[in-house]
Amino acid sequence: MKFILSYIRKETWSPYAAGVLLGVVSILTVWLNKSLLGASGAFENLAGMIGKAVSPAAFNILYFNFVMPPGITSGVILVIGIFFGGMIGAATSKTLKWGKKDALNSDLQWKRIFGPQVWKRWVLAFVGAIILEYGAGIAGGCTSGLAISGGMLLAPAAFLFIAGMFASGIVIAWLIYRRSY
Amino acid sequence: MAGTVLTLLLGVIFGFSLNKAGLTKYHKIVNVFRFTDMAVLKFMLTGLAVAMSGLFVLRGAGVITFPNVPATYVAGNLVGGLIFGTGMALTGF
Repeated sequence: MKFILSYIRKETWSPYAAGVLLGVVSILTVWLNKSLLGASGAFENLAGMIGKAVSPAAFNILYFNFVMPPGITSGVILVIGIFFGGMIGAATSKTLKWGKKDALNSDLQWKRIFGPQVWKRWVLAFVGAIILEYGAGIAGGCTSGLAISGGMLLAPAAFLFIAGMFASGIVIAWLIYRRSY
Repeated sequence: MAGTVLTLLLGVIFGFSLNKAGLTKYHKIVNVFRFTDMAVLKFMLTGLAVAMSGLFVLRGAGVITFPNVPATYVAGNLVGGLIFGTGMALTGF
């Protein structure tokens, strides 16, 4: 019992232990919730909801009417849960950065490559996130929704997606880290 | 309502496992593309192996039925993956 409690307080678990937890959650989601884990769809649901309120004509298209219906879907609830789950995880290991001095940009490796400016980190994260979400929209899911949830059902789409993701990820990381690869 | 609470709870455990594996850190995500830290792959593939074996055993036992399997369209999945990887290497989330 004491061992378990002290393990929960560790900042980084063995990836295998955390992976087992991920596998169990995925099974429970299919079993009890009759759905799949996924994060990127929630943002499309929310974007559709905002879009329909702001400009109904522009958003009256096939994609937002049938492929990704707008509204507070279970995916949105799941993302809210992921947010608080991450916070709880950080709180148990006392690494929660809320209100701390370097909370806005605390990654040492990022600072070494791009510099210490906070705005740079946020702008790059925002631009990268747009690209990321656009790709997820085309492929039909993100790392969790397609690669893991699709992969565990042995969907060919998931493995094509993983191949694409690593191919471009490696090239872009190589371009960014050229000098220190 | 019960369904909403269950979804929220599953999300919390999912987020917790992501945090404990270190996937909420920029350097963990980028370093897998630089081949210097394979934690992301170890985490993802362990999860895949556990979920795969569990799900197929449970389906064989007749306990569960699979939800809609993500659709396959080769060009879309590949191109989407390529764009997604670009964003992932830039953002690190």
